[in-house]
Amino acid sequence: MENKLKLIGSKLTNFYKKFNFKLIRKKLLGIKTTDGLLFKVLVYLILIGISYVFLFPLIKMVFMSFMSATDLYDPEVDWLPKKFTFEAFKIAFQGLNLPKTLFNSVWYSTMLAGIQTLIAGLTGFAFARYNFKFKHFWFAMVIFSFIIPVPAVMIPRILMFTEIGNYLKGIIDPNFTMFKTIYPQLLMTLLGQGVNNAILVLIFFNFFKMIPLSLDEAARMDGATSIQVFWHIFIKMSVPIIVTVFLFSFVWNWNESYTTNIFLQSRVRLLPDQLSNFEDAFNTLMEKQNDDEVSSRINESYRMAATFLSMVPLFIVYIFAQKQFIEGIERTGITGE
Amino acid sequence: MSRRRHNLTVINNVNGYLFLLPWLIGFIVFTFGPFIYTFYLSFTSVESNTSGGFDIDWLGIKNYNELIDRDIPEFIPSIVNFVIMQALYVPVILVMSFILGLLLNQEIKFRTSFRTIFFLPVIILSGTVMNQFTSRGIGLTNFGEVNNNLIFKMIGNYTPFLTEGLQFIFNNFTMVLWFTGIPIVLFINALQKIDRQLFEAAQIDGANWWQMLWKITIPNIKSTAMIVSIYTIINLGLYSINARYNGIMNIFDILNRDLKNVTKGLGYASAEAALYSIVVLIFVLLVMVIFREKYKPKKFESLKERQIKNLQRIQQRNIRNEMTIKQFLMQIKDKFSKKGDKHSGK
Repeated sequence: MENKLKLIGSKLTNFYKKFNFKLIRKKLLGIKTTDGLLFKVLVYLILIGISYVFLFPLIKMVFMSFMSATDLYDPEVDWLPKKFTFEAFKIAFQGLNLPKTLFNSVWYSTMLAGIQTLIAGLTGFAFARYNFKFKHFWFAMVIFSFIIPVPAVMIPRILMFTEIGNYLKGIIDPNFTMFKTIYPQLLMTLLGQGVNNAILVLIFFNFFKMIPLSLDEAARMDGATSIQVFWHIFIKMSVPIIVTVFLFSFVWNWNESYTTNIFLQSRVRLLPDQLSNFEDAFNTLMEKQNDDEVSSRINESYRMAATFLSMVPLFIVYIFAQKQFIEGIERTGITGE
Repeated sequence: MSRRRHNLTVINNVNGYLFLLPWLIGFIVFTFGPFIYTFYLSFTSVESNTSGGFDIDWLGIKNYNELIDRDIPEFIPSIVNFVIMQALYVPVILVMSFILGLLLNQEIKFRTSFRTIFFLPVIILSGTVMNQFTSRGIGLTNFGEVNNNLIFKMIGNYTPFLTEGLQFIFNNFTMVLWFTGIPIVLFINALQKIDRQLFEAAQIDGANWWQMLWKITIPNIKSTAMIVSIYTIINLGLYSINARYNGIMNIFDILNRDLKNVTKGLGYASAEAALYSIVVLIFVLLVMVIFREKYKPKKFESLKERQIKNLQRIQQRNIRNEMTIKQFLMQIKDKFSKKGDKHSGK
């Protein structure tokens, strides 16, 4: 017995001696804190956990939109529906009037975004390249224009566009109004007061500042005018940043609802607007159809399907242009100076 | 040479203003002018007349009186809620986005895919989508109920107020995180700009990760933190989690109603907007004060000065030690007598 115990004891001590604690400690904790395995595991756990919280509503939205009415009220069904149905999508497709509203939203946002990109580019270029008087003051005003809450400037804008409409009534057409048309937003965007214009200006400003001054000096030596310098050097060089700004502007114009609600007043049906009126649209749709198979009461599944469908275009844009979105801001930043 | 330089400044001014012109006109006409005009309108009543225009009559502070004391209080509670919401959300968003930016700045796998997930809400988040998510029956933003948690009950025994705030944040944690999209990227940008040599020097001096975080990283991203906070304050105001959101939408409702029959018209609404914007501006100013660069010019004494000072101190001490009480008293007497002499001399 004693021998056996001794043998086991000696084996254990051998094992203990062979076992390289230092190496394990080094692997787990690392030489620096940030090298260690434990640290890495912790980082991944935090990141994965937080990604789950980020995506939680979206995942739930997708599953909910596949649920049938019975699944929705079944307490057993939490995430996965028992039976996948596309019924909700059909209803949502009709309720959103998708082909028309999608088309409206796309051309509307594209046009505003194109103009906004151009104007933001000009403004950013002016700030980055020229030392004019009161430059710092106007630059502070760019930031100020971002800080002012939109409601604080909305009422005078409404009055202004009413007056302009009244003035134009006498000239063009007695039934003319500025409201319920795209003109107010078009005019504001054309004069650099679109959605989040200040951020776009800052992105351009930071980008143009990174291009060395000697480049346009060289062009000037060869006799190029300011416009030529702007076009041949800056525009052609800054295609990636223009794409980034355009995409941001597109998305923000797409998601904008406050100004659009006030000026457009649902005359041109846009996709987000149709989504916010989905309940009404659904009810009118049901009155027309009188279908017994489909439950005629609106439920979460229909609404989630509609929300999902309204997001799909943005998802597609994001999948293809995800790099431009993030790296555009990451590389230039909007912080500046 | 001087003429050429003169030409250059002229070119700078003319071209600069030419490029700036569209924005400049727009800013004055559509933003700055209206901002001032809103404050004027808040002292008036605005009603539409028969010709389609508006009649603006001076009312004095009647609108503000109505805002503050009405039979059914509406404005003040909502603005208080707005302030509480901002005070809760902004620090949490700031800290969360900083932590996430810090983690994503490490060399880890799937860095881009994590970044893609965290940036996604910037693209899809709109007022309508948020309304759908937070509307009754769906409650997708309620990420699990934490109200009956033991920890909250324990904290609640001491400070119910803190518990309410914590519960609010945990219940709306998804929404809080959804506002961190652009801040995270801004923080990553700022972190990459920090000079690597600072970290290397600190490492050689034996600083660990935690010390470097507090002594190098955080002081260097202070300006970014300011911009992130301002961005968050503005961005939070645009969505329905803003308690003032319904009040903001009020303008839209007023427009849709018949303007003639509305007693509280656009004048009242502009008083609301004016007060609201004052609150927002105060918040922004507060953030600017908190994150301002503190200039503390430290006075560095040269070694020689310090040595001289020390020597003088030692000398004086020696003198004091050697003195007897008598001598000390004599010294004082001398001083007084000298003063007295001066007085008499005058």
